[in-house]
Amino acid sequence: MGIVKPAEAEDTEKLVRSSSSIGTILNLLLQDRRTLAGVLSWVGIGVLVSFVVIAIFAYPLAPYDPQRIFLTPPNQPPSLQHLMGTDDLGRDLFSRMLYGARTSLEIMTIGVFLALAIGFPIGLVSGYLGGKLDRVLVLVMDSVYAFPGLLLAAMVALFLGKGVFNVGIAITVIYVPTYFRVTRNQTLSVREETYVDAARALGAGNWTVIWSYIAYNVLISIPVVFSLSAADAILTAAGLSFLGLGLERPTPDWGLDLSDAQKFLTSGVWWSSFFPGVMIIILTVGLSFLGEGLNDIVNPLLRKERA
Amino acid sequence: MPKQGSLLAYTVSRLILALPTLLVLLTVLFLVLRILPGDPISALEAGRRSTRDIAADKARLGLNLPWWVQYPVYLSQVFSGNFGTSLGQIYLGQPVLQVILQKLPATIELATGAMLVATLVGVGTGIIAGSRRDRPPDIVVRLYGSIIWVIPVFWLGLMLQLVFAVGLHWFPPNLRYEPDPVFFPPPSHLTGLYTLDSLLEGRIDKLAISLAHLALPSLTLGLVLSGFFTRTVRANLLRTINSDYVEAARARGIRERYIVYRYAFRNALIPVVTILGLQFAILFAGAVLTERTFSWDGMGTLLLTSIDSRDYPMIQGTVIVYAIIIVAISVVIDVINGFIDPRVRY
Repeated sequence: MGIVKPAEAEDTEKLVRSSSSIGTILNLLLQDRRTLAGVLSWVGIGVLVSFVVIAIFAYPLAPYDPQRIFLTPPNQPPSLQHLMGTDDLGRDLFSRMLYGARTSLEIMTIGVFLALAIGFPIGLVSGYLGGKLDRVLVLVMDSVYAFPGLLLAAMVALFLGKGVFNVGIAITVIYVPTYFRVTRNQTLSVREETYVDAARALGAGNWTVIWSYIAYNVLISIPVVFSLSAADAILTAAGLSFLGLGLERPTPDWGLDLSDAQKFLTSGVWWSSFFPGVMIIILTVGLSFLGEGLNDIVNPLLRKERA
Repeated sequence: MPKQGSLLAYTVSRLILALPTLLVLLTVLFLVLRILPGDPISALEAGRRSTRDIAADKARLGLNLPWWVQYPVYLSQVFSGNFGTSLGQIYLGQPVLQVILQKLPATIELATGAMLVATLVGVGTGIIAGSRRDRPPDIVVRLYGSIIWVIPVFWLGLMLQLVFAVGLHWFPPNLRYEPDPVFFPPPSHLTGLYTLDSLLEGRIDKLAISLAHLALPSLTLGLVLSGFFTRTVRANLLRTINSDYVEAARARGIRERYIVYRYAFRNALIPVVTILGLQFAILFAGAVLTERTFSWDGMGTLLLTSIDSRDYPMIQGTVIVYAIIIVAISVVIDVINGFIDPRVRY
């Protein structure tokens, strides 16, 4: 689904020349606390950290076991006992939402990190070496990129079967082209830098140039894409579950709970559809804020424009 | 040979360049559908039927052959439009392509409606934001642009359903047409697009019913897509509004509103068309979810019912048709782009 374009090559050039990547971004984040981009980033970081905390401490935080079936009539509206009501089986929705954070973050982490681990090195090598290999890889990656990600993931998930790890793999397939494109484009511009020429003139081999000189400076464009694709990955995972291709019941999962709640909506049971969506939105909005904030911070031209 | 730089030559070259893309996509789908660990029929039917039945099915579809035999057969099937016959219960024995073509119009109707909503909302908000930079309307619109695309389309659909169908009864909650064919006979099947068919039949009442059913699904999918247009139009408008020729117009004393629409806006739209092609991937993915939410009887629903009924040929056919549509659209977008902006033809 929607990935915002990475910072344009020439925009980051100035920063790249004087930077050491992740450390620079952290420094800028600390400096920029008062600007809009800084605020967005910090809000995003706050949301992400809260969800990680919820996911890790779901057990002590949740008032009930997410699988416990209450013998009161099912589909209870929100009350003090059940903050978000109960679902069609009489389970406490609030507890399920907290545990759902765990499922979502697990899938996202597997999918996005694997995609990075595959897309980043291929993009580096392809962009640096160029030639026929590069052209073929670009064709393949662009073609996959143009295909609806959800459909491709659905096919992979269908044949791999349900479960957190399999959905993670299905999601990896979608984002490999994203990381490949960003890394390759950034490599193309870094490759032309004087210090790279200098390294080559001193007799550094391709391998040394790629890993010691280029990789580090390409890495700076990754955090932006990382947060945006993470947001997208959560949406896709929820979509897969909604379509019945993601996780096995009774795993607490936002998409799956939403899909089970759909048929009760027409009888006025709004809470079991409403809250899973709200959880998804808070987390994805946080990640998207983080991505956009970082983009403005990493991208000096945009900063100048704003000033 | 058409003259270099002519629209025709450009179209032909785009068509030729689209072939490798299509071939790559078909190959990727082949890999996913046939080579992934296990084989499709076992994955689909495991535990439901005896191993002997499964083996028989595999032999019938040629899935027991090695991949280098399957691959050319698969490609020739795709290019001759022969996707085999359905194995599912609903369409058992019907040619796959024929069933898909029956469902295609519903998806086209939904996609068109959604694109219309997305363009209107997105370009509108983009202009509002771009021409009032850093003032409150701009900040609201920018917030909208960065939040709307991360709202799950199926959730938005359910919420709109809850408010406008279940609560207010303004629109029907789901389906393409009234469910009762005796009191409400659907328009006769000419194109399969209910709205167009109603018009061709000259029946305003039928058109009203079709549009009422189309409204919520289009709005749902269109709103989620509109964020992209909002952001792109705003960014491009800001770029053009500061350019020299706009500055020159301003110096001549032309009113700001006129400058925005006549000078800046048109050039701001060109990049929108360029990246429009990638939006169709999102559009079709979103359409599958929207179709599920609104029981919309299109290709997405067909794919999902085929998955439920373990209908391998239908699943394969639907996904391939999606791939062909995506590639075809990208060619069309390129040609349109070549038409508005002759510079890209070279």
